Amino acid sequence: MPRYELTLILKAMQRPETVATLRRTVETLIERGAVVRGLENLGERALPYKISKHGIRHTRGGYFLLDFHSQSEILPAFLDHLKRDVDVVRPTVLSKETAAANTRCCVPQPEKPKDALPRRK
Amino acid sequence: MFQVAKYPVQVCRFLSPRGSVLIETVRGRKSRNDPKAKSKQDRVKVPSPIDPVEMVVLKERYTQYQMIMRALRVEFKEQIMRRRYEEEVGSRAEERTKHEAEEHRALMAWNDAENLRLRQLREIRVQKEVEELAMKREEAIGLQEEKRRKILKEKEQEILQLQEDVKTFITLENLDQRIEEALDNPKNYNFAIDKEGRIVKRTAIP
Repeated sequence: MPRYELTLILKAMQRPETVATLRRTVETLIERGAVVRGLENLGERALPYKISKHGIRHTRGGYFLLDFHSQSEILPAFLDHLKRDVDVVRPTVLSKETAAANTRCCVPQPEKPKDALPRRK
Repeated sequence: MFQVAKYPVQVCRFLSPRGSVLIETVRGRKSRNDPKAKSKQDRVKVPSPIDPVEMVVLKERYTQYQMIMRALRVEFKEQIMRRRYEEEVGSRAEERTKHEAEEHRALMAWNDAENLRLRQLREIRVQKEVEELAMKREEAIGLQEEKRRKILKEKEQEILQLQEDVKTFITLENLDQRIEEALDNPKNYNFAIDKEGRIVKRTAIP
């Protein structure tokens, strides 16, 4: 199953409420058949700009990273569910597939032959 | 009346004798129905006078001369024909044909020998090529097999890795514990590195 990363910006709340929100989110995911790999906390920080959501203007928020494996079909419904959650300020799901092993990026460019015409500036 | 042919006239060619100039009869200024000229009306054409004695002698000499010439000509013609005949059907002709036949046989034999030699060389070369092809094919198959094996191994590695990682996954049982853990350890991914790749400074969480 492909691997996704959910960047969750939660409202700046007290600890038990944050715990409850996170628990809710993870349980929803597991209900829909996802396998949660890990959860990281990026701290409670000032948002880069003021975000208005669900009638509240947020200045600070808790950033959380949740990576999981799931089917791609459940994602729209899941995002919709998250948007309706009052405590969630901004949910973002990104793909986290590892790139193929033999990618040719950062390969040294082949040397041009000396007879090549000089590039026009 | 007689004029030298200035432009080519193919018809008169067989009328003129060999070696002489081609002359053609031309009527000159007057056409057929014009009257004779006044100064020529009473003209009587008289044949040129001949001396009978002289004529007899001349005739005699001419007959002899012509006989000799004719004889010479016939002699020469006969010589030529004989030579031609001998060339085609003579004693030397047989030798020549034999000689030519021998040459032909020798050349054919040489040709056959060359063909044989080249054929052998070619066979060797073709065989070598076939062997090379077979070898290359085997090599290619070998490489493909190796690639396949490598891919399989990589996949196996991945699976094993995943099996290891499964132990770190979050389940309903360790959900609370993991949430507490996460909230206690905030991670910060903002840092700067220098050219050697070492982390130089971290920003504080605002």
